[in-house]
Amino acid sequence: MIQKCLIANRGEIAVRIIRACKDMGIKTVAIYSTADKSSLHVLLADESVCVGEANSKDSYLNINNILSAALACGADAIHPGFGFLAENASFARLVMACGLIFIGPHPDVIDLMGNKINARNTMNRAGVPIIPGSLEPIISMDEGLKQAQSIGYPIILKAAAGGGGKGIRMIEDDESFIQAFNVLRQEAKNYFNDDSLYIEKLFVNAKHIEVQILADQFGHVVHLYERDCSFQRRHQKMIEEAPCHWLTQEIRQNICQAAVTAAKAVKYDSVGTIEFLMDEESKFYFMEMNTRIQVEHPVTEMITGVDIVKHMIRSADKQKLSIKQKDIKINGHAIECRIISEDYRNDFKPSVGRINFYHAPGGKDVRIDSALYSGYEIPPFYDSMMAKLITSGSTRLNAIKRMRSALEEFIVEGVENNLEFCYLTMFNSNFVTGRYTTQFANDWIKELKEREPTL
Amino acid sequence: MNQHFDKRRERLNLFQALFTKPKTIKITEKELDFVVCPKCNKAIESSEVKKHISVCPQCDYHFPLTAFQRIDSIFDNGSFYEVYAKASSTGLNNFPDYLNKLTRYQKETSLNEAVVVGTAKLNDIKVAVAIMDSRFMMGSMGQVVGEKITRIIELAHRRKYPLIIFTASGGARMQEGIMSLMQMAKTSAALERFNQAGGFYLTVLTHPTTGGVSASFAMLGDIIMAEPQALIGFAGRRVIEKTVKEQLPDNFQTSEFLYEKGFVDQIVHRKDLRNKIYQCLMFHKEIK
Repeated sequence: MIQKCLIANRGEIAVRIIRACKDMGIKTVAIYSTADKSSLHVLLADESVCVGEANSKDSYLNINNILSAALACGADAIHPGFGFLAENASFARLVMACGLIFIGPHPDVIDLMGNKINARNTMNRAGVPIIPGSLEPIISMDEGLKQAQSIGYPIILKAAAGGGGKGIRMIEDDESFIQAFNVLRQEAKNYFNDDSLYIEKLFVNAKHIEVQILADQFGHVVHLYERDCSFQRRHQKMIEEAPCHWLTQEIRQNICQAAVTAAKAVKYDSVGTIEFLMDEESKFYFMEMNTRIQVEHPVTEMITGVDIVKHMIRSADKQKLSIKQKDIKINGHAIECRIISEDYRNDFKPSVGRINFYHAPGGKDVRIDSALYSGYEIPPFYDSMMAKLITSGSTRLNAIKRMRSALEEFIVEGVENNLEFCYLTMFNSNFVTGRYTTQFANDWIKELKEREPTL
Repeated sequence: MNQHFDKRRERLNLFQALFTKPKTIKITEKELDFVVCPKCNKAIESSEVKKHISVCPQCDYHFPLTAFQRIDSIFDNGSFYEVYAKASSTGLNNFPDYLNKLTRYQKETSLNEAVVVGTAKLNDIKVAVAIMDSRFMMGSMGQVVGEKITRIIELAHRRKYPLIIFTASGGARMQEGIMSLMQMAKTSAALERFNQAGGFYLTVLTHPTTGGVSASFAMLGDIIMAEPQALIGFAGRRVIEKTVKEQLPDNFQTSEFLYEKGFVDQIVHRKDLRNKIYQCLMFHKEIK
């Protein structure tokens, strides 16, 4: 049994994990950088250890210090959250080598899924439909051009080790392919230390559907249905919902089944997400697998009532899944808005500063996962996400209406934020009807800009 | 701490205005629609306002009249004969977006320009009239407005008709630059010739009469009438305050203030306007 868990993360996800641990009677240890001394996760955890300077390279990515901290305070498990070290297989291996439990999937799976080309091949073999594209890394420009032409433009050129919206280029024709190829290769080398690239067909009007997976170390896999994360700006999700109300029961069944097949194919043993793209003809293709807890997990928790973080800890603790697929039902609809400290009126420029005033909305079916409090100073070194606001309702429209009134109540004074942007989005007819695709957010931002420059 | 919630409410109201289009309130079978008086803020039934020639029955606020509403309210039924109706600007000076603006206003108001001129009868007395319409680019005076006014003056001159002009204007039309300023001199000169020939000229200043129009033909009437509470002046209030660095009285540039200082001969309520004008015309006839 895990007695004490170190959370190798910060911000709202660290707070989320601390809460789950407290629920389960597990003692919590927070780590923090010198810039995060007064962050909420530090204030809420039972213990806290400073692991380095403000720059995340020196603190939240500092594997040696984090492991030393875990051993020094007698923790027996480490939860990596998302971002930072969450999908770093060598970190996971080191944690295990220290005799600690890594709360996440087996490092081999992280490795396998971290390389997108390997992931595509594995899924292809398992019979999960993959996006048309290359199955081998592209070594030369000529070969790449040939492949691009046979798939047909537009295409996406991706770094095999990429993720988080980095190492991606849309390519419209031969010319831009030639321009982008070497640049991206260099970029991939710099960011991910791996310069292999591959090509995928680009679906312009696609929906981004992902399926939440729960698995244990005994080969049991269940899915918690899908999420619709098509509202993206520069490949960063901003608004997510569950379920995707555009799916028919049949397609939902197929896509969830495909996700379970995919998870079983890699012997998955933790909480994860299989991401799919769905084109206009409702055909879906495997895009990638996220071997970690995700930002948008609360929407699934809202509609299924399952505590995903707790399940993740239990699976890591060698416990069997306590729920069966037939017990998991979709209950209503949930929407999540990521509240970020970026100025939507100014091209989403990040903003830092002191929160002078903070008021969180409340009421039935309103959930807030945040690391904010009045007087908190937002440091400039990390991600701009401050909070997640999740609402649910018996129908999608009810959830939207609840989101509107929750956003009306939500006040964050002191830093620029996207509360108003989210609020306006909740009134956009395309959003309300749910007929939006991954292209929508960009168009909507442009439209807002034109419509009311003084907003 | 309340101010944060107030600030939010303000923003929400702004968004609300963006999302919801204003609706006219409809009450079942009998269609009632209301206008809200900008002065006393009371909702008044449209038909009630119409009955009072667009004057608020509660507080006597004079709603702006369109040119043809004005004609209907003053002159003998069906006696108005419009001239130079098709005159419109060619927009030759190429001011950005000016032609588009003109077309838009022409569509909105179904007028070709900001003034309507013609002949009419008032209790069977033939008169030449010009009525400005503030809906058309705030009744501003460009080449076409100036030309139409000049021509109606000359028509009155030729036919020896009395001349009545209802003014409502923000002043010279900035888009036409110096050519619009020149209309001030042109109309004034025509009036002087009309005056030399013994013509009778009456102006009725309505809300608002400002700028180049007030500085030319509006103030040259033999008799100058004004509607109550109309804004009449040359430069705007803030401009004057900034220039002379003095606080101006509250009723500054209203017709009442001008009446007090002797710039206006008479303030006439809209319902009395027809009779007062008739009296003046009769008076003029007697002298002749």
